Order: sequence, then structure tokens, then C-alpha cells
Amino acid sequence: MAEHTRRTVLKSAAVTAGGAALAARAPAAAGAAAVSIQPAQTAEITLSVNGRRRAVSVETRVTLLDALRERLGLTGTKKGCDRGECGACTVLVDGERVKSCLTLAVMRQGSEITTVEGLADGDRLHPVQEAFIRHDAFQCGGCTPGQIMSAVACIEEGHTGSDEEIRQWMSGNLCRCACYQNIVAAVADAAGEVRR
Amino acid sequence: MKPFGYTAVRDTGEAVRLASRTPDAAFVAGGTDLLNLMKDGVARPGHLIDVNGLDLAEVTETPAGLRIGGLARMRAVAGHAAVRRGWPVLAEALLASASPQVRNMASIGGNLLQRTRCGYFRDTGSPCNKRVPGSGCPAVEGWNRGHAVLGGSDACIATHPSDLAVALLALDAVVRVRGTAGERKVPIGDFYLRPGATPHVENVLRPAELITAVEVPRSATARRSRYLKLRDRATFEFAVVSVAAAVDLRGRRVRDVRLAFGGIGTTPWRSPEAEAALRGNDLTAESVARAGRALVRDAEPRHDNEFKVELVQRALAELLEELR
Amino acid sequence: MTELVGRSVARVDGRAKVTGAARYAADQPVPGALQAFFVLSTVARGEVVSIDASAALAHPGVVAVLTHRDLPRLTVPAFPYFRRFLPMQDTAVHHVGQPVAIVLATTVEQAQEGAALVAVGYRAAQPRVVIEDAREPSYLPPPFRNLPNEIRRGDAETALAGAEVRLEARYSSATRHHNPIEPHTTTAQWDGDRLTLHESAQGVLATRTVVSAAFGLPPEAVRVVAPYLGGGFGAKGPVWPHTVLTAAAARVLRRPVRLVLSRAQMYTLTGHRAEYRQHLRIGATRTGELTSIIETSTAQLSATEESVFNRSDSTVELYACPNLHVRYEGVRLDVATSSYMRSPETTSHFGLETALDELSWQLGIDPLELRRRNHAEFDQETGERLTGKHLLDCYALAADRFGWAARLPRTGATKDGDEYVGWGMATETHTFNAMPSTASVTVGVDGKALAQLATQDIGTGTYTVISQIVADALGVPITDVQAQIGDSALPPAGMSVASATIASISGSVDQAARAARAAVVDLAVADPSSALFGAAASEVETSNGHLVHVRDRQRRDTYRAVVGRAGRPVQRTATVLNKAGHSYGVVFVEARVHARLGSVRVTRVVTAHDIGRVMNRRTARGQVLGGVTWGIGHALMEHTVFDRNIGRVVNPNLSTYLVPVNADAPPVVETLFVDKPDPASTAMGARGFGETPITGVPAAIGNAIYHATGRRVRDLPITQDKLL
Repeated sequence: MAEHTRRTVLKSAAVTAGGAALAARAPAAAGAAAVSIQPAQTAEITLSVNGRRRAVSVETRVTLLDALRERLGLTGTKKGCDRGECGACTVLVDGERVKSCLTLAVMRQGSEITTVEGLADGDRLHPVQEAFIRHDAFQCGGCTPGQIMSAVACIEEGHTGSDEEIRQWMSGNLCRCACYQNIVAAVADAAGEVRR
Repeated sequence: MKPFGYTAVRDTGEAVRLASRTPDAAFVAGGTDLLNLMKDGVARPGHLIDVNGLDLAEVTETPAGLRIGGLARMRAVAGHAAVRRGWPVLAEALLASASPQVRNMASIGGNLLQRTRCGYFRDTGSPCNKRVPGSGCPAVEGWNRGHAVLGGSDACIATHPSDLAVALLALDAVVRVRGTAGERKVPIGDFYLRPGATPHVENVLRPAELITAVEVPRSATARRSRYLKLRDRATFEFAVVSVAAAVDLRGRRVRDVRLAFGGIGTTPWRSPEAEAALRGNDLTAESVARAGRALVRDAEPRHDNEFKVELVQRALAELLEELR
Repeated sequence: MTELVGRSVARVDGRAKVTGAARYAADQPVPGALQAFFVLSTVARGEVVSIDASAALAHPGVVAVLTHRDLPRLTVPAFPYFRRFLPMQDTAVHHVGQPVAIVLATTVEQAQEGAALVAVGYRAAQPRVVIEDAREPSYLPPPFRNLPNEIRRGDAETALAGAEVRLEARYSSATRHHNPIEPHTTTAQWDGDRLTLHESAQGVLATRTVVSAAFGLPPEAVRVVAPYLGGGFGAKGPVWPHTVLTAAAARVLRRPVRLVLSRAQMYTLTGHRAEYRQHLRIGATRTGELTSIIETSTAQLSATEESVFNRSDSTVELYACPNLHVRYEGVRLDVATSSYMRSPETTSHFGLETALDELSWQLGIDPLELRRRNHAEFDQETGERLTGKHLLDCYALAADRFGWAARLPRTGATKDGDEYVGWGMATETHTFNAMPSTASVTVGVDGKALAQLATQDIGTGTYTVISQIVADALGVPITDVQAQIGDSALPPAGMSVASATIASISGSVDQAARAARAAVVDLAVADPSSALFGAAASEVETSNGHLVHVRDRQRRDTYRAVVGRAGRPVQRTATVLNKAGHSYGVVFVEARVHARLGSVRVTRVVTAHDIGRVMNRRTARGQVLGGVTWGIGHALMEHTVFDRNIGRVVNPNLSTYLVPVNADAPPVVETLFVDKPDPASTAMGARGFGETPITGVPAAIGNAIYHATGRRVRDLPITQDKLL
């Protein structure tokens, strides 16, 4: 998929504003102009995912989750409930954990999105990924990408002071296989490693 | 979801002007409730106005108290040092809400405007007076464990799910809203409306009005305030029953007190009667029991929620014991 | 080399799962696939009288709206299809949330909105959806697959009448839903008369059987692929209508079609644990020996299916009792068909293990001691001695670790802060199944091994255990073993239900790998260019990828060199049959009940299990952790609510159907295993196990709550309002 630079985004927005009826929202820094997309039209937007800018065609009603999974082929992020009630779709947006089923793709232009596919450094797994394997912190794997993204943020937020704190701050991610004790152990372990 | 238009705005005036001239427009900030309502077909706006670009996210401590921007995120407010120091009930209520992810996303304004979790309301296959006025209320005769024992009508007994609103009610907060005619202030106690015969009208917001801020006065009661939320699992659930209590104690004597409750009323529920039972008296098991009885005097429990009448009194006693 | 089987070995599919590389059924790219979404009936009983699809068809991107008028007539498949009818074949509505139309569109969003725009008219009758409202009295349904619904032993009524001590109690349990994190999904792609399904399935072969039968095709015409499953817990064992209907839609439109059920749709389309009531009467001696058990249970049945899944195997077999009479009754209701859910015995087992606790208080006998006194040394039906059963060892191990001897035999005796602390225990048991399984093991010219069989890994660790077995049998590093499963085109093997996977497949994998090892050794000793040329095969041992002469260790070769020189892979296949049986165990629980608020926390759990040989300590422990937390959900929160007037599910989501979150899971769970291979098992001494560790947990929690507070709750779930 073509990588759009910011300039090409702005240029295409300008072109469509004068011609076809749709326009993309410019990155936050770009200024005060309101951007508008009409109903049932497909907007060409740009999402920055795992350090790459990716062009994607979406209707306004496409969630960030469906943009990742169905348009960008990033199926590591899972759809468990599509209602923000399970946490399987957790990704990082500008470093904060969010539920990607509860936000629209058009609302996330100009943000930096990190999915489970973007954690490892080449062949080297992220410490949280390593810890999840080491502590057997998953079974079926259906919730695992969301757990891992949530865990990365949980550590970053500093909510790993005790097992009890981890239990509370990892409770936005359901694990129906219920590996919860192992998840707590993995997060605690990885927190030590990340800090090192 | 119905297809909808989308505009990201940069200016509050522009936001309300656009909302006023666009039919079926809705503001979106966090989107954590609105998107679910849209997916379920409960809300079908024709246009979303994305207000996230507005400069309304600040939390500031002023001599008068606290000013929380309507777009401040739940996480930011809950973690704010001044909030934790001067208005602990607010931080506790926010931290007891939703999940860490949702608290990163959801705005304060949106939190106050979230819709009930009544299962009939959220199911377009069921009748619901709140969703389709005049279609009936299956909850009155059906499953109503989660429903209100106070403030209901034959048309609706759904509760309001916001923990934040309960805390703000105990803090005498004021909601600032902006519409095309300018800004106005609404005390939180006047903000929500009981269902009566019009359960689809939930608050006093006029079309195109946007919550720009919530102001919370500084007070002795606010400094000594706490939130207790009871539910059927440890966390990540709406309240079965909740209590926000703020007291100013001199020794055991209650100089002043604010009590608000979630899960028992059709709106976030303030009980002047319960407060009166305590104000000026010693905080004792007897006075607390009197307050509890005063709270539930007019309760109208249904088939599945009778326990709330007892549970909320116990929750009140528990919380006041912790505050003593 | 140290054997891997039996050790704590990290999951071989771990990397794929933590990086997002593991592709589940809905993750498979299928170019050109249409997205499908169902329109479900809003009424519970009646008939479709009109369907207006015009608004849906006018919605951009909607390609078609198919109804019963458009689909081909299909054959209603036999077991393991459960519903006994296929929706969208006529206008009848048997339950709420039954498919009445399928909308197909280019994108998911278009299909979902299209479905919202289809207007369906019904002629509806008043539904009855809970046992209390049943139109007809309960009845004894015909046997389910030769399993009788009435079991008698001795003369239970006479024995009860003459018993020194009698106990009578009624227990009940709400409807539950499995709620795997991955929604059920089907992607169907036809090539002429051949069909490929990417399916969220616990049984690729069972799915093939059902779908081919529906279309009147030979089984080989259907290929079912499911390399990963995002949780099943029984829900994805049966094949449900959506799978067949998606394939039918793809056939009508001559395009690949993908369907992903919404979470709400999973509450009426993919089975559930039936609402259940149990009436128990127990006779015993004053010293606690059971003399008679009479149990009548009532389960919610659907309008179309009368199979009973909440069977009471533990009542029948767990304890020694000469006189028994058990009846599994049901009532017909206008609800979707139920099925099995992670340990179907859990519901009946709660009653039995609670009743024993009640009896122990009545008699003043320690509940653990009461169970010891009734320990069954013989099969209660056949009279055969149960030689491989080590339940008494489990009792001893776990009681010691828990510190059970310090238990105060009084209720409300221990308070810690605001909470009463109680201890409870229950025996655990589950009947596992076993299915004939074939496995093939291939050693490639690169010396690497490939095990292939049509089983599945539903999260229980199948990939890993297969790899351990092959690595041990061949003597190669586990990193040189690949397991390929989850594809019906592979050698036929057991499905992953009824805790059957390990019990079914392990023997065949082991034997195929040993045969492949023998074949490679034979190649080496017959190969003049091998250092092992001329040795007896029995003199060659294999380890870490090497073949070594046992007496002259300088004489060595490698799998890679031997098979490489042969120029073609060595493949061996084996078929092994195991038999069904039981795993056993015990669970001890510490629960804390808030004195004023009635809220319950489970703070400490100790388990011990007798599961034959433990294949992988790490994944076995995982099953216990899962079972314990499932037991907490079952005991304290989970329940599906039907509206009794309109028949709809009121809480079809994960914010009001509550499953435990991380903070609900007990911080301390100690998992002990007896770990003695079962000589009767052809699965290397292993028994089926995955479901055992939930069975006793709900009763143990209820018993702990009683110990803490003196309050006996016989209706699940035990929400805090029942403890005020």
C-alpha cells in the first residue's frame, strides 16, 4: 500500500475540496479549518499505524477496529464484542490504550496507532510478549493481542505497583479462558524488565 | 449503522452553529457510548460533529473550586492531583467507572450524557418508551433487577448509569452549556429530568447545546468525600447501588452533609431527607439508620429489585462509617 | 535427553499468538468475499408473514437479501447438529433470534445496516421461556444417543424410607452462555460442488459431516479449516445453523461469503447451558454412609430439540451408594436449543456437592471425611474395581496444602475486618470422551518432523502436546517439530469436546512418531554410507536429532543426513482408539463475605487432580486456573435473563451478562496433580481433563459461604442480594 506523506494528504484534501465532494481531515497541527465528509461517501484518509502512514478508503461509520482488520489486513487486533465490553480490540493511540471498536477511523487521522503487530522489534519480541509466553498468560489467544496492548500501557501508566493494582488495571480485558493469574504474573515480570 | 456525515470542528461557536442548522446532528467526543447506541440502532444521527479539536479539555483549580473542561478525559480528571486532594469522591467515582481504556477515551461531557443500560432500551427488538415514545415499558413487569426504586413512572424505571454524575451531585456542581444563544449554567441537581410521561427527555439540554465545562465548588464537605460502588463483579460494571457522601464533621457532629446515590433512582439521586436526618446531629448508628430510612421512604420496588431498598441503606451506613 | 512429555513446556504456538500472526477463521483473507449479516426474528413463537427487503436492497453496497424463499431446500443434518430444524426453510419461528433473512453486502457496515433495514412481519403467539412458565408439566424425554434419561439401582424409595438420616433439598441454576471471546464465524467458498469453510470449529470433521449432509454431498466435498480457535467452551462443538446458511448463501450467489455473528446474536444461535432445577433426596446412616439417592432434574428444552445435556454423572457414579433413582426430565419452551457448556455436569454437581455439605453439618461429620467414607472403589454400575482412581490421594494432597485440618466446624466463626471468612470444599469429576484418531508423522529430508491430524487446538495446548510427544518419540528437539492440525483434509482425529482431545489423539501421535523413528533407524542401519551401517536397529538410540550406537557412541548419524540421503521423506501413520473415562479431583476454597454488604470474594483456592499422566504441567495448570474462575462466574455472577412476557434475551452482551474479570480471579490458586499414568489409557497414560476443574468450584464456594455466614443459597448465581 502506498505510503502517503503529510504533504500528499494535504494536497489531496485541497484537490477534493475544490472538485469531488469529499475531503479528509487534516492532521491536528494543520490549522483551524473544519473538515467535512458527507454521508455514504468514501473518504480517502491516512492512518499512521505501527510507524507507517497507510492510505485507506472508509465510510465515516467504519470503526478504527474495522479499518485495521478489514481494510489494512491487520487482523492481529481482535473483535470480540464490538461494544467495548471485552477489550480484545485494545490498541494504543498516541501511546494510550483505547478500544478500537469504540472510535471511528475518521476520528483518528493524525494519531499514532500501535497494534500488536507493531510491538516486536524485528525478530525480537517486546518484553510483554516474551513475558506472556513465559508465564503461559493465554490459552486460545483470542483476547491476547488486547491483553498485551493493555499490559504495555498499564506498565507505561505505572499501574504495576502490586499484583492487586495490576488485577484492577487489567480488568478492562476479559479472558474467557481465564488465565488471569498468569496475566498478572506476566505483567509484573515485564514491568520489571521494561523499567530496567 | 446508518450512514452519517462527519465534520471535525475547531471552534465551539462553529460547533453549536453547525449543530443548530444540521438536522439529526450529534456531537461526538470519546464516542464510547454513542457508537454503541449507533451500532445497536438506538441512535441514528445523520451527522456527527467531532468536537475533539475544541479547546475544552483542561482541568483547572481556581479559588472558587474546580473547573473541568467538557472534553477532559475521565482518566485526566481522576488522576489530577487537585481533584484527589480537594474532591476525592470525584476521583473515586471516575476510577470506579468503566475500564482503563474507556477512561482514556470518554469525556466528562459525554459521561454525563450517556444513556441508560436498561436492556430493553438497548434492544430495538423490544418496546421501550424512552426509545420509541408510547411503545410501552417491558421492564415494569419484566426483568428489573437493575432498575430504579425511586423516581420512576409507569412509563419508565430505567436508571442513569453515570457514577460521575452521582459524585457531582454530592458536590453541588454546575454544568456549563453553550448553545446558539450563548452560555448558561445549570446546577447538576436540575440537569436530569425524571421520566414522568416523557422518558425520552432525559435532561434540560436544548437542541445544539454542548457541555463546555463542569464547575465544582470548593467546600469542607468536598474535602471529606467518598464513593462506594456495589456491583456483581469486582470491577468493570455499572453500579447495582452506589453512594457518594460528602461530610463536614466537627468531632462526631455533622456540620454539613451531601448524599447522592446511583442505581436506585431514575436520575442520579440526591436525598435532602437523608441529609436532614444527619445534619446537626452526631454521626451514630441510629442517625445513619434514620437517614437510610428517610432515603427509601418513597421507594417503589419491583419484582427483582426489592433488595436495593435494603442494600442502599447498608451501603450508606458502610460509607459513613468509613468517613467517620 | 530429558523427556518433554510431563514437563512444563512453553506453548509452541505462543509466538504466533503474541504477535498477532496467528490467523483465526475470520482473519483469513478471502478475496471477493461478500459480508453477511443475519436478520433475526424479534418474536419467540409464531410465523413470518412478510419480509420487505426494499429499503435494504436500496442501501449502497447491499448485493442481496436472501430469505426462506431464496435458499435451496436443505437436509436437516443428524448429530452433531442439534436443532432438528434448519431456519430459513419455511416461515415457522421457534425461538427469539432465529435467522429469517441474510443480507449480503460488500462491507460489514453495509451488511449490518442492510439487516437493520429489512422489515419483517410476524404472526406471533405468547411465548413461554422459563421453566416456571411452562405450558406442560415436565416429562422424561427419549434417550439422547443411547444415553438413558432414567437410571435405577437397587430400591431407592424403600432405602430412603428406612434411612437413619434423610436430607431433601432443591437446587436451581440460571441459563448460561459460553461467550468465547472470538465470535462464531464462517467463511464459505464454493468451487463447483466443492466447498471450503474457514470455520470457528471445535471439530473440523464434525463440521464437515454436518455441512455435507445438509447439502447432500459426500463428506470429501467439504473441507473445513480451523488452525486457531478463539475459545469454544462447547459452543463451537455442535454445528449451528449459521454455518449451513452461510454456505447456502454462498452457493446461491456464487461468491465467497463471510459471516461473523455479533455478540448479541450468540445468545440465540450457538447454544447455552439450560436453565436447570434439581430435586435431591438422600438417605444415609448416622455415620454418613449413603444408602439412597433420588434425584429428579428438570431442564429447559427447546421447541424443536429434546436432548438433555445437564446429566448427573456424579450423582450416579461418584460415590458408593447401593440404591439410586435418577430422572432427567425436561420442559418444552420457546427458547433456542441448549447444548453442552464447559462441564455440563457442573449444574447437577453443584446440587450433589452442596447436599453432601448439608448432610455433613446435619451429621456433625467433617465434609471431607464424609466424602472419604463414601469413596467409590468400584464402578457403581458394573461393579468393577476402579484401579486407576487416585481420588483419595487428591483429598490428602490438597487438604494438607490448604490446611483443612485447622477448619473450625462452626459457621460465622472467623471474621477478618469487615468480612466473614469461610472454607468450603467439593469433589470434582468429569466424564471425558475418547474418539478414534489417526495421526501421520513425517520426517522430511531436512530432518524436521511434521505431525498431521484433523484435531484442533482450542487453547488447551494441543499443538504443544503433539510437539512434545513427537520430539520425545523421535528424539529430536521440539523446535524441529511442527504440528499441523485444524484441517479436515488431514488424517481423521478426535474433535475437541468432552475433554477428549488429549485422550483421543496422544496414542496415535506417539505410535506414528515411533514408527517413523523405527523406519529412519532401519534406513540408517541399511545404508552403507551411514556410520551405523550394519548395526542392529535395537542398538540405535535417538536423541536431539542424532542417531547413536548405544555401545559405540562414535558411531552416529542424524535424521537430516539419513533421510536426506534417502532422498524422500519418511512418513508413518497410526490409528489408536481410547476409551471414555473419568478424571477426579478436589477443590478447597476460602471465600470472604462482607458482613454488611453480602459481597463475596474468593481469595484462596487449592486443587488436586488425578488425571492420569500429566502431559504438560503448564497447560494442565492453565486448565485448572480457567476452571476455577469459570466456577466463580458460575457460582457468583453469570446468568442469562429471558423476559418472561416477550421472550427476548435481556442481557445479550458482556456488560450485563457478567463473566469474571481479572480482579475477580483468586490471587492464590495452587494446582496439584497426582500424576500417575492410567494403565487403562492408550493415550500414554493420560486422561481427558480440561473440564474437570470447574465441576466442584460452585459448590465449594457455596459451602464456604455457608461456613462463613450460616447462609445456604441453593439457587445460582449467588449474587449479593441473596446474602443480605
